[in-house]
Amino acid sequence: MKRLNLAPWLFLTPFLFLFSLFTVWPLINSMFLSMQQTYGPGRTEWVGLHNFKFLLTDPLFWKATANTVKFAAGSLFIQLPVALGLALLLNRPALKGRAYFRLIFFAPSLVGMPFVAMLFAPIFARHTGLLNKTLNYFISGWPIDFAWTQNYVMSALIIAALWMSAGFNMVYFLAALQNVSRDLIEAAEIDGAGAWHKFWHITLPEILPIAGFVTLLSVIGSFQLFELSYIMLNDSAGPDNRGLTIVMYLYQTGFEAGDLGYASSIGWVLALMLITIALIQRRILKRHEEH
Amino acid sequence: MIKALRENIDRFLSPGALVILSIAIVTTFIVASLPSKVVDGIPFWLTATAHKKAYVKLVAEWNEEKPEKKIGMTQLHSRALERRMLSGFLSGTPVADIIEANLGVVAKVFLGPVNEIGFVDLTDYVHDEGIYEQINEPSFAPYISRGHIFGLPHDVHPVLLAYRSDIVEAAGIDVSTIETWDDYFRVMRPLFRDRDGDGQPDHYLMTADDTRGDVAIMLILQAGGSIFDQNDKPNFASQRNAHVLAKLTTWIAGPNATCTDVPANTAAGHRQRLEGFVIGTLVPDWMAGSWKIENPGLSGKLKFMPVPAWEKGGRRTSVAGGTMIGIPKASENFETGWEFVKHLYLNPELARHMFENTSIISPVKTTWSQSFYDEPDPFFSGQPIGRMYIEQAPEVPHRPSSPYTAAGGQKISSSLIALAQYARANEVYDVESLEIEALRILQDAQASLERLISRNLFLVKEAE
Repeated sequence: MKRLNLAPWLFLTPFLFLFSLFTVWPLINSMFLSMQQTYGPGRTEWVGLHNFKFLLTDPLFWKATANTVKFAAGSLFIQLPVALGLALLLNRPALKGRAYFRLIFFAPSLVGMPFVAMLFAPIFARHTGLLNKTLNYFISGWPIDFAWTQNYVMSALIIAALWMSAGFNMVYFLAALQNVSRDLIEAAEIDGAGAWHKFWHITLPEILPIAGFVTLLSVIGSFQLFELSYIMLNDSAGPDNRGLTIVMYLYQTGFEAGDLGYASSIGWVLALMLITIALIQRRILKRHEEH
Repeated sequence: MIKALRENIDRFLSPGALVILSIAIVTTFIVASLPSKVVDGIPFWLTATAHKKAYVKLVAEWNEEKPEKKIGMTQLHSRALERRMLSGFLSGTPVADIIEANLGVVAKVFLGPVNEIGFVDLTDYVHDEGIYEQINEPSFAPYISRGHIFGLPHDVHPVLLAYRSDIVEAAGIDVSTIETWDDYFRVMRPLFRDRDGDGQPDHYLMTADDTRGDVAIMLILQAGGSIFDQNDKPNFASQRNAHVLAKLTTWIAGPNATCTDVPANTAAGHRQRLEGFVIGTLVPDWMAGSWKIENPGLSGKLKFMPVPAWEKGGRRTSVAGGTMIGIPKASENFETGWEFVKHLYLNPELARHMFENTSIISPVKTTWSQSFYDEPDPFFSGQPIGRMYIEQAPEVPHRPSSPYTAAGGQKISSSLIALAQYARANEVYDVESLEIEALRILQDAQASLERLISRNLFLVKEAE
């Protein structure tokens, strides 16, 4: 007779219990909630897929999505190249004081998002902000009243996030660069490859798995943007909702307007977006690996 | 025994882990042993520090006179109060017996059916006890939902125009001829010059910008426009509102723009005000009080005038902000709570304290004859600002109590931004042409808000 081995289940039980209680149950609950309209948790009306239908034609949701995509694009096409550039720079053995530079570039990521938001709000101020004053000093004709947090909200957020996150992503790239085979580099040098060729044909393919991972992290982080814009714009989405992000809209809908059902449907659509992005990114990386 | 224990500790825990565990155990004990705050008396929640300071003496007197009906006043952060109040109303978690909240928070209470609003309906009490007649009537408006009064107003918050009298008088400008907005910009225009040669005008004429929805709303209300009708239905797509937005756009965009934004409560904004970067600002009474505290350097440099009218003989004020006090339905001490609310809000002593410390005038009309309102205020160049605000108090515009007030305000704000963009893109800066576009933008915005409101099945069903 086969003996039932309970030991694995015994070890798994605490995790399964907590996972079910704090992840599975809320997920199921929020799925039901997304098909209801609520007036607080106590009063609900079943509306089927109406919340999702409304969301598809909700201009605010699409504005939030467009803003979030802009921010994600900024992270992807500005922040990551800057992080990689810094990593390449600090990976040069000849550079003196590399350890100090690493600390300097990494240090901003030790500061939390709310602090970054509070720090940058006065920097971006019209007339008196450090950024406008500096640009006005160096660039002739730069308007001192350039309205960063009024008219160019997403650019301002991308700059603030760049300051904070470039150093953090740099550390990943630096770790990847230190694993690039010296043999390959030296072989390429013997063959007369220049700096660009070495980077494009050796370094980049070698660091691609890490680059893919950092890209995914950045995109997911960008889609979850909330505190930075919310605090920098003084607990709001800014003029004309120019700083409205998907998570901020979810928060406003659920916790400020009290429409928990609609907020849940926004949450589910966001989750679907992130899953889709992750799958696409995985497929692209896999194709590269096969090549 | 000890040796065995030490061996086991060494076996399972590294020194670092031991330190972390020790800290965790010690802090757990410290947190667990912290005494929990017990409120002595009937709980009363509020958020504003200035209000709390004004109430301390009156609450102490009440508690001394009526020890069996003691009131326990607790100040909460506005977010905390909002969360706890809404949770209490919607989920039945414990709430205070008396709550003072600002109108932005109160509006959220009105989102559901009227019979499920968490505050006690005070309509009959207010009318039967003659309180309605004692209080400035327009000040009730934000707290009346579907014809029911859910709170007593704490304030009126009329608006005056503060201007840099030192700069204006040094330039030899006589403000006594100003009656309308056209007069204001014509008379002040000589100040809009670049004398120091930095390419920027030394003084802008007023604080306004396409991103300042609050200014647009004050101006709309002043002009007799509205955002919601008496039944809380959006009605802001009107010719009147279109005219205000069109006119405002000509002040902030184009060749004749003379206004700029100076942030209300930031250090940078205070610095700019001190430097005379802007001449005029729309100032509700509470803002006058906060300037005295936050920007003392302005003392003696400012004067007030009634807000210039849109037409000759038009309204010379507007309104911004507001707070009310109410009693939750869950309260088991309604009678005591109501007695205390009247003791506090109708008290002439409170009116004096509030005005002297915050410049806020009382909505209780019987207090308006008090002499402290006539005292010259050195901060505002010796003007009796209390009397000036009181003169405008009966004229403050009615405001809506719709739970969608904030959304309506955002629509107005977005409409102004869109109109300014249209003006700049097409270089259209005449009021008549802008009015047509403004009305179109407002109609789109109103349709969008109506669509949002139509989602609220609870309100729709109630209306049916």
